[in-house]
Amino acid sequence: MTTTTLRGTAVTARVGLALGIAVAVCFMTGLISHFIQHPQPWFFWPTRPVWLYRVTQGLHVISGIAAIPLIIVKLWSVWPKLFERPLIGGLVRQIERLSILVLVGSMLFQLSTGLLNIAQWYAFKFFFTTSHYAMSYVAAGAVIVHIGVKLPVIRRALGEPVDDTPALGPSRRTVLRGTWLAVALATVVTAGQTIPLLRKVSVLAPRSGQGPQGVPVNRSAIAAGVLRSARSPDYRLTVTNGATIRAFTVAELAAMPQATHRLPIACVEGWSADAEWTGVVLADVVAAVGASRDSDLRMISLEPPGPYSRTVLPARHARDSRTLIALKLNGQTLDLDHGYPCRLIAPTRPGVLQTKWLTRIEVVP
Amino acid sequence: MTAVRVILIGIGLAIGGYGAVLVWDNPPVIIMRIVVWALVGVVLHDAVFAPLCVALGFAGRRVIPGKWWQPIAVAAFFSVVLVFLAIPVFGKPGMRPDNMTVLDRNYPLGLWISLAIVWACVPLFYLAVRLLPVRQNEVVEQESAGDVERQPPAL
Repeated sequence: MTTTTLRGTAVTARVGLALGIAVAVCFMTGLISHFIQHPQPWFFWPTRPVWLYRVTQGLHVISGIAAIPLIIVKLWSVWPKLFERPLIGGLVRQIERLSILVLVGSMLFQLSTGLLNIAQWYAFKFFFTTSHYAMSYVAAGAVIVHIGVKLPVIRRALGEPVDDTPALGPSRRTVLRGTWLAVALATVVTAGQTIPLLRKVSVLAPRSGQGPQGVPVNRSAIAAGVLRSARSPDYRLTVTNGATIRAFTVAELAAMPQATHRLPIACVEGWSADAEWTGVVLADVVAAVGASRDSDLRMISLEPPGPYSRTVLPARHARDSRTLIALKLNGQTLDLDHGYPCRLIAPTRPGVLQTKWLTRIEVVP
Repeated sequence: MTAVRVILIGIGLAIGGYGAVLVWDNPPVIIMRIVVWALVGVVLHDAVFAPLCVALGFAGRRVIPGKWWQPIAVAAFFSVVLVFLAIPVFGKPGMRPDNMTVLDRNYPLGLWISLAIVWACVPLFYLAVRLLPVRQNEVVEQESAGDVERQPPAL
């Protein structure tokens, strides 16, 4: 038996199918996350179940990591084709090769930048979110073209038995079983930052799930530059609706009726944690300035202007009874790194939009 | 099937084209960096990683007895996956002193332990294959031309 018989379309098509599913899940969940952060009029994002974003974004990172062993085997199975003759050939051949170059290049780009981003290692000198978003269409498009081109080969290969009968050593069946096991292994060693059950065994997860008050932090108070302003005695939470303006001290917020809800904080980087948040129901606060239940709200942080220092909370989330201006986390006064004096916590929202160190809430007219 | 293929290729080109437009929105220097990152990935795979694997595969076949190939090849592949996943966390290049909740594990220890478990499974697999009942078709599959007896003598 030679290596060339171990490779072959029977393996390529099956691993390719799994990779296609992983890419589809990754692309769809990525689009969901994008459109939550850049709302479009046609996009609907519900407030229930409260863990919805935790699941979609967790899946985004898990499926991306699962794609890594799949793409290794996929590329291994077709690598000798790189040297097939004619090396250059005619126009059709060149177009085919170019399409494969785009496919492999964009896939490796997406997987490598995604993997570096969850570890917050910005080795690349371009902005992660916009380039990862743009290249996701390139990769998805290249995958669909590739499926279109290879459809007859895929159908034939999936209909054929995997078996070859090796004299010795690994068979194609071994390759496939090994691939599925590797996907399981890659998931187990990283997914603990999303799935609490795996926390102890996810030895390569960028987050252990620990943090102040039992919850990890993405942007610290130091990085946000709010150490002084967040602890200032002059702090007020200002709520405005046109000319109607109300300002609340922390004591005044704490004196209002308090609600406690168990809500997850789920980061775009895939990690998430459930926690018990206590605070004022946001709808009660904005009712004090006579806001309509159909108004979006602009949530403004003490953090100096930056990409996430001000966010818009859609009306559906703003009027939800579980959306809180949180003052406490797991029974303790909010840690400075979790957004003291108060922060937004709403169901099904990416962590980056759960504005911390709130200073101002504006009713969007 | 031709219609399905044409539709797939059409949709793929449209989606990919939209991605290209989004990339094109960047300043030229950023476009170059994105393209270079993608191409470096391809070159690293095709010209470094893949030949290295082939070389190791050939060397392994000469050095390692055939019955060990299967578990060792799988363990080697698992190791590659673990090492790839460990690259961005191993030396904690993304760590910032103001936030100790990111990269808060002992990654070298985690990598060594997971590699040790993977390689410990190799002799276990070998033993299991030897000790577990073997199905007849597997016996036949393992046989080569030399195992087949000659035709019995004609009486």
